[in-house]
Amino acid sequence: MTEVTVPTGLWDTGDEAAISAWLYADGDAVAAGAVIAEIMVEKSSFELVAPASGTLAILVAAEIPVVQGQTVARIA
Amino acid sequence: MSSPENIPSETSAAESIASAGAGTPAATARPARRLTIARAIAEAIGQEMGRDSDVLVMGEDIAKLGGVFGTTTGLLDRFGAERVRDTPISETAFIGAAVGLAASGMKPVVELMFVDFFGVCMDAIYNLAAKQSYFSGGNVTCPMVLMTSVGGGYGDAGQHSQTLYATFGHLPGLKVVIPSNAYDAKGLMLAAIRDPNPVIFMYHKALQGMGWLGTVQRSITDAPEGDYVVPLGKAKVAREGGDVTLVGLGLSVHQALDAAERLVGDGASAEVIDLVSIAPLDREAVRASVRKTGRLLVVDDDYLSYGVGAEVIASVCEAGIALRAAPQRIAFPDIPVPFTPVMEHFVLPNADKIVAAARAMMEMTSHD
Repeated sequence: MTEVTVPTGLWDTGDEAAISAWLYADGDAVAAGAVIAEIMVEKSSFELVAPASGTLAILVAAEIPVVQGQTVARIA
Repeated sequence: MSSPENIPSETSAAESIASAGAGTPAATARPARRLTIARAIAEAIGQEMGRDSDVLVMGEDIAKLGGVFGTTTGLLDRFGAERVRDTPISETAFIGAAVGLAASGMKPVVELMFVDFFGVCMDAIYNLAAKQSYFSGGNVTCPMVLMTSVGGGYGDAGQHSQTLYATFGHLPGLKVVIPSNAYDAKGLMLAAIRDPNPVIFMYHKALQGMGWLGTVQRSITDAPEGDYVVPLGKAKVAREGGDVTLVGLGLSVHQALDAAERLVGDGASAEVIDLVSIAPLDREAVRASVRKTGRLLVVDDDYLSYGVGAEVIASVCEAGIALRAAPQRIAFPDIPVPFTPVMEHFVLPNADKIVAAARAMMEMTSHD
């Protein structure tokens, strides 16, 4: 099982971030390297990339604030 | 339009799934490759720039920023500032320049950030680009794509929230398309760039997958990595049904699909047609559906009068198709788009209004 975490160092830690959209649904098969979600920070978009192939389990829904390094999904 | 050999063999299967807005394609072994419409547009432009050195992109904030609606993300890094050009805030200048580039053999993809801004560049669009081929006896074509954001619903007021489909659909010489999902967005963009005549490629802000505009999850669909085209001018059946035909485009396809789901509870089965294109308009696709259902409700978020709904209804009536209820349309009333969200949402189409109108049409015929 691999944890999917919010990237660090791409934006100021004080800025509010949230996943704007999960491109895949909970339980979908995903391939390593695929963009699985987009994170919006102050109207800029960042990619969340699948670190492994497998079945996606979403832990944090879209539109909920997230912080850098936070685990938002697992791939098993 | 592109030649058929560009269409991969998996297209028809993937197409029906994508247009139905359903989940993972069962026919393919690979995991679904889900894209937002914004990513699909950027991917299509990038692929065609890689294939054809005549293709270039211009517009406000499309290079360094990647487009305010994400339509050109990553293109500057891949292709450089010569082919991915940030322009000054003068639509008159850069859209005029695009028409000239197209006349001299280039294939510009030019972004009009909001369709609402068309006023200052319309002469280049409808008097020059649209008529270039006709005036020159077909000797000088105009292979340009004008991509532009449409639609409201997020409190951006009367100069940044219009759709203006019919304004462009009314003018001969322009093709006008609007995708409802990522699969169609990519295939339509590839077809649009390869078309020898000007194509107005409209994308709805509520479907872009940009967080601050809201996102309709159903628009995020599987899109193959390879090359494929979705033909310009062909409508799609997004959901099959037998009691009423709901016709939409862009965002209103999703509102119609939501309504169709709720009508199941009434025991009614609604067919949903995604127009995909309003010029050319696939009149036969609508007629075929209404011949089956006998009821027609058209939904769009452009102004009501002289609009898409009127044209679609006329197409059916002119064909003399027997109807079980008077055809209806839901559209934006003939007023400027209000700024206040409460007022804006009061006048925008939505699934509730579609359900109510469809029920009234069923009522109309239940007594005869």
